[in-house]
Amino acid sequence: MEDVKVKDGIDEGTVAAAKALESENYSAGFATEIETEYAPKGLNPGIVKFISDKKGESEWLLEWRMKAYERWLTMEEPDWAMVRYEPIDYQDIYYYAAPKAGAKYESIDDVPKEILETYEKLGIPLREAEVLLGVEGAAATAIEARTENDRPKVAVDAVFDSVSVATTFREELKKAGVIFMSISEAVHEHPELVKKYLGTVVPQSDNYFATLNSAVFSDGTFVYVPPGVRCPMELSTYFRMNAENTGQFERTLIVADKGSYVSYLEGCTAPMRDENQLHAAVVELVALEDAEIKYSTVQNWWPGDENGKGGIYNFVTKRGDCRGDRSKISWTQVETGSAVTWKYPSCVLKGDDSVGEFYSIAVTNGRQMADTGTKMIHLGKRTRSRIISKGISAGKSDNTYRGLVSVHKKAEQARNFTQCDSLLIGDRCGAHTVPYVENRRADAQLEHEATTTKLADDQLFYVRQRGIGEEEAVALLVNGFVREVLQELPMEFAVEAQSLLKVSLEGSVG
Amino acid sequence: MALSVSDLKDKFRNPGPAELELIARYAMLPESAQRERAFEAFAETGLPHRRMEAWKWTDFKSAIKAVEAPSKAAQCAPLPAAEHVIEFAGSKVSLPDTLPAGIELHERADAQALGGAETVPLGAMTAALSGRVGGLGTLIIEVAGETSAPLHIVTKGDRDETNFARVAVIVRPGASLDLIESHVGGAGFSSFLIEIGMQDGGEVRRTVLQRGSGDEAQALTAIINLGAKSEYTQTALAFGAKVARLETRLTHRESESHATLNGAYLCAKGFHADFTSHVLHGAPSSVTRQVTKGAVLDGGTGVFQGKFLVPRTIGQHTDADMQHQALLLEDGAEVFAKPELEIYADDVECAHGNTSGALDPNQLFYMRQRGIPEAQARALLTEAFVAEALEGANEGVREAMLDAARSFLTETVR
Repeated sequence: MEDVKVKDGIDEGTVAAAKALESENYSAGFATEIETEYAPKGLNPGIVKFISDKKGESEWLLEWRMKAYERWLTMEEPDWAMVRYEPIDYQDIYYYAAPKAGAKYESIDDVPKEILETYEKLGIPLREAEVLLGVEGAAATAIEARTENDRPKVAVDAVFDSVSVATTFREELKKAGVIFMSISEAVHEHPELVKKYLGTVVPQSDNYFATLNSAVFSDGTFVYVPPGVRCPMELSTYFRMNAENTGQFERTLIVADKGSYVSYLEGCTAPMRDENQLHAAVVELVALEDAEIKYSTVQNWWPGDENGKGGIYNFVTKRGDCRGDRSKISWTQVETGSAVTWKYPSCVLKGDDSVGEFYSIAVTNGRQMADTGTKMIHLGKRTRSRIISKGISAGKSDNTYRGLVSVHKKAEQARNFTQCDSLLIGDRCGAHTVPYVENRRADAQLEHEATTTKLADDQLFYVRQRGIGEEEAVALLVNGFVREVLQELPMEFAVEAQSLLKVSLEGSVG
Repeated sequence: MALSVSDLKDKFRNPGPAELELIARYAMLPESAQRERAFEAFAETGLPHRRMEAWKWTDFKSAIKAVEAPSKAAQCAPLPAAEHVIEFAGSKVSLPDTLPAGIELHERADAQALGGAETVPLGAMTAALSGRVGGLGTLIIEVAGETSAPLHIVTKGDRDETNFARVAVIVRPGASLDLIESHVGGAGFSSFLIEIGMQDGGEVRRTVLQRGSGDEAQALTAIINLGAKSEYTQTALAFGAKVARLETRLTHRESESHATLNGAYLCAKGFHADFTSHVLHGAPSSVTRQVTKGAVLDGGTGVFQGKFLVPRTIGQHTDADMQHQALLLEDGAEVFAKPELEIYADDVECAHGNTSGALDPNQLFYMRQRGIPEAQARALLTEAFVAEALEGANEGVREAMLDAARSFLTETVR
């Protein structure tokens, strides 16, 4: 970002923080030298079978994939989002890439050194001992050691290109009855669960990218939390794209059975490359009666350089199904990476009294384009949803919030509150808001606002009463709110997110 | 006409019976380059339908199965401004004997006007199909100086199949116009296109009443360009029809122009009203204020689609605010809203708000406590709610608009 003229009232810190997100500061941009095994380039029934064979899948899953593949051939790529990109040549992509030394490792010690180093560089703890004790990491200072010791435990599933290379804390989780493994393992070990839930939230034919994913998904995470269990630690998956010319098509399925609770985190990075790489993931969440799923994402895929060369196309379908009464699904996302983002984490509120939440902070810089938001589909009685979206655009980027709030005929006393604010830094970028609100219930109460002046008046009054100017007071309150969202992320993620996003939000426009 | 009906038909993708009828009508009209351009634009889309993003909640193609006369003549009397009336009734146009000072009328046989209609499907259709052989194509109203009295445009069918009319208004520098419009139905498919070009310092106040019947389709399309320091105030009250759309496309062409776009819709069972607006802030320091209110009963549908587009550099210092608030008075009512912002300039203040829900039970309780029966209390509260959006109407007809809203609510709200 060259020196841009910035509107009065936006503080230096905000501008500096936005600058810090520029490409030269992308710390995850290194590539790992490792021998990689590829499937032949391109997509055809043979490749779908190749992937299925690699995973040693049963017949039903291959059929399922083939059905998706055939469906995909008949579909057209969506073009309604406010993003522009070069047409993707789907025959010029490797749909499967895995480190040659084997797909899955018996113990962490068998994982190739290069991969372990990659995750170490990214700050992802794969050795349980390190996480547990904070000693093997050889903390440099006493202060660091203390913070390491205070760290809450996080179980990690590390996905490297098309395979999961390590899943930590499995034994400890097993004691609590929690199943946490890569989806390719789950297909073998818990086929009944996978079969029961796979594709029930995001059907194979849902949309172009989800259908493509259904045909070629390679790895991802499977989580099942049994009834009444509060998952004893945070679960996380760290996605890393390394190989050139590959696409990553992971599939995540999380099922929270009656009365259970799970918090799941997802992080993503990729090397700096001149080409565009496709990431078309599907995430399905199922919350049964009284269950709660909290899903947090820090998305930091390589965004491309300041001229828009390279970067990840992040075309992701994420949807949560509040299937049981009083269930709750909460999405939190911090989106700073990707050249193009097309992503709408949604909640289908089927159960009575179920709750959906969406908290999003999306930052675009350089030539990034983000079209992101959520859908809240109110079907059950007394369902509630809350959408808070903050978009920050800088450089020559475009940032769009696109959201749907739909209240169906039977969703009595549904309630939604939506707030989406955007901030433009410099006059070469764009900020857009495209909310759709469909109300079919007289007793529903839907509010959508996009003004900074409508922050809680009493709070504003309180702060102003202390002699603080309005603009500053609003910034303070909004910052306070953002911090609250960030603080809900576990320590590692909160630190990562905060360093990505020390951006204050004053001077917002709708 | 160079092309035969079957050639014209080929320009459309899957034309429905209503479209075939419209094609046949077009083939009988006098040839003109402008008309042809408009028709080509209409052929691109045909009658707009739900698969088009801007028409997803308002589907003319499925609402108009065939171009047929409605069961009733005009739905209500025009607004009470009887002095200078231009009336479009089916294919007949009647012009006033006298005009307010400062206004001149020009009749054009072809479809010449300000341009821009082609970007709106029903605007293009109206530009292609308004007028008749040997008769009026477009009526041009030229306003120079301050006008002494309001001009009243009435579209009113007498169980006609169609009523297509096109008016262009040119407002000279510093001139002002008070325009009243009554679109009271009576045709199976009526579509009115008005283009208003305002030069520097011009002022226009436009007050609109729309009321169709449950077996009519009605479209009102307005294309407005604002010159420097000009001021445009629009106030519309819509009761809808089987399908009705009031579309306003406004461009701030020069700096420091000011636009107010207010409206209210009241929809009973089987009625649909759509307020759609697109405001382009194409010049610095322009201001837009927009308040749309709606109240919908069981079986009624209200639609609001608003968009502010603020381009890079030229849109700086835009001040724009869009509010849409709807009451769903009964179960079975539907309200769809899409308040949209597309902003490329950083030093702007743009905001939108959107709410939908029921009447405040506390207010209802308060009124009932004072001995007001529930139905009456609901009607009163709803009236007060929508009245805010009608404050900017012409003083001479404002009371009549409020009366229309009041009697509708008294009759329908239980």
